[in-house]
Amino acid sequence: MTRRVTSRRRPRRTRPADRGTAPADLVLLDSTTSQALEAGRTRLIAVGLLFCLAFGVIGLRVVDLSLLRDGNEPRLASEAVRKTLVTDRADIVDRNGVVLATSLPTASLYANPRQVRDPEATAAALARVLADINPVVLAGKLRSDRSFVWLKRNLSPREHYEVNRLGVPGLDFKREEQRVYPHGALTTHVLGLVDVDNQGIAGLEKRFDDRLRGGSESLALSIDLRLQHILSEELYGAMTDYEAIGAAGMILDAQSGEVLAMSSLPTFEPEQAGRASEEARFNRAALGVYEMGSVFKIFTTALALESGAVTLADGFDTSKPIRVARHTIRDYKPKNRWLSIPEIFVYSSNIGTVHMAMETGTEAQQGFLDSLGLMTPAAIELPEVGAPMLPSPWREINTMTISFGHGMAVSPVQLTNAVATVVNGGELRPATLLKRPAGAPEGGRRVLSKATSQKMRWLMRQVVLQGTGGKAAAPGYMVGGKTGTADKLRNGRYSRGSRIASFIGAFPMHEPRYVIFAMVDEPKGQKQSFGYATGGWVAAPAVGRVVERIAPLVGIKPLPVRTEEEGETTDLMIQASAEGFAFAFE
Amino acid sequence: MSRLAAVLWIFSAALIAVVLFALKHEVQRLERELQLVSRQVVADQQAVHILKAEWSYLNQPSRIADLALRHLRLQPLRTSQIIEIEAVPTRPVPSVKPQPPRKLVNAERLQ
Repeated sequence: MTRRVTSRRRPRRTRPADRGTAPADLVLLDSTTSQALEAGRTRLIAVGLLFCLAFGVIGLRVVDLSLLRDGNEPRLASEAVRKTLVTDRADIVDRNGVVLATSLPTASLYANPRQVRDPEATAAALARVLADINPVVLAGKLRSDRSFVWLKRNLSPREHYEVNRLGVPGLDFKREEQRVYPHGALTTHVLGLVDVDNQGIAGLEKRFDDRLRGGSESLALSIDLRLQHILSEELYGAMTDYEAIGAAGMILDAQSGEVLAMSSLPTFEPEQAGRASEEARFNRAALGVYEMGSVFKIFTTALALESGAVTLADGFDTSKPIRVARHTIRDYKPKNRWLSIPEIFVYSSNIGTVHMAMETGTEAQQGFLDSLGLMTPAAIELPEVGAPMLPSPWREINTMTISFGHGMAVSPVQLTNAVATVVNGGELRPATLLKRPAGAPEGGRRVLSKATSQKMRWLMRQVVLQGTGGKAAAPGYMVGGKTGTADKLRNGRYSRGSRIASFIGAFPMHEPRYVIFAMVDEPKGQKQSFGYATGGWVAAPAVGRVVERIAPLVGIKPLPVRTEEEGETTDLMIQASAEGFAFAFE
Repeated sequence: MSRLAAVLWIFSAALIAVVLFALKHEVQRLERELQLVSRQVVADQQAVHILKAEWSYLNQPSRIADLALRHLRLQPLRTSQIIEIEAVPTRPVPSVKPQPPRKLVNAERLQ
């Protein structure tokens, strides 16, 4: 029943649209109420649709984000903060990765004087824990009316700790970086210096300033710290033994041109650069140019042999001094007879060498010295590079004197590089301070034939076996080389008292791997050297000791001493069949 | 039926809310941890950096030489101390085979 009733009452619920046809009693609702209801309905529907649309959009977006886009792992995880250590300046390391220069964080102490309660007590407390701080000056600073005063820059870790332990209010630290050279004076001339703002002002620090400040990847040098130490130590020994004013030396990889050691004495601690003397700050190995003396005979002889002007079987009469213009060229220890080319080289005869130079001529000499890089500043990566001093004009007399190393000044880097070229088979690879990738070095510029290089190796070996370089011998390692002694130019005149004693050596001579140069500036004759201060007495023994010490380090196997000497000591009077001469160590 | 569905929906919504909330907290915790760890990494790198410098300083060749001189009874290697392995004599092989003891002549005589 009820159902029926309800069903009967249904018409009440008729839609407003039916109103017109509905019975009159059912249209009880006044038009305003029904209109309001009507409006509410439409709004509800509209809002509902809106919500549906919004949720639909959100749903689609969710599907889009989760399924369609970035189907893989979310990107966010990989973007999580990955911090690594950043330093202002990259490290410099040697060829074996030993740190030569690094930037260490230091704390610098400053104060806000307005927050310091008791300036006097604070100053007194600080003076107790900080080295070289004047408490009176400090108290003055702390009393000032500023909000920031530096108290001390770059504290040591101990000082940092001690100041923290004082717990005084108003003091604070600022993190700074300081350039540190763990090997101090040993590497100063190569590495150079930075200023207070950590900008390179000398040496490699200056040359590679942008590179070092640009990234944190360390710069690997060709230097081997062990060899650097050995070279410096032996040079220092020679310098003090002969009361010299300075010394310089180089160890060069004969094949690749890498500089394994470069030393200039006296040197200085980089922290005390301001107090170092001019003499100590001067890099003799790269910036200094010197008349090298007899070591230049290597180039004269090599050119004469290369050009075919002479053969090893030729020779010259050296009994008469050569007179040119106002000059007289004599031998240091005259033999007063005809000497073969090997004898001229081994006994270091000036007269014989001048004859050789005259056979080849000025133009050939200039061209050859230029191709060896002796006429232009060395291409090494140092800002401090000395330009060679050349005669101008280049007369015949200059050709003569340059043939035995006078009248032209070059830097030790240039000289070592040129000699490396002569002994390594004749290819020039510019000396570099940067580590080259391992393996065979890329082709250099050919300056000399292999055959001439072989002859020069033999000649240089004979200098040590039976000539002026005997003291450079390191049994088993086949050292060869050439001595040089040059009087220094003083006020336009050569003075006997001050000279440059040098020795350039290479080993092992059958296949040279290292070229070593040692130069001592103004050595004085000593009792143990019977008053001599020549290259053979001063520099050669230093090179011999360097070879003895570095050969085991670089892994060169010594030859049995017996076979070494028996097979090699050859008659310097080579018979006419010189070109067919079989070299003992081939 | 619809009531059950509603309950299910409400329940699942609540569950998701709780899970989401827990997840968010977990992520925040992990992020804090990550930050802490990466800060620790930088601190360790800094320490390694300083230690490397110190190691290099302590390995100054002159210092090592001095220490070796004082504490080791070693000397620099001399060339004469290096020989080829072929040059090392092998253990001498007895050239004659050990033979049974000879008969003693005198012993025979004595008999």
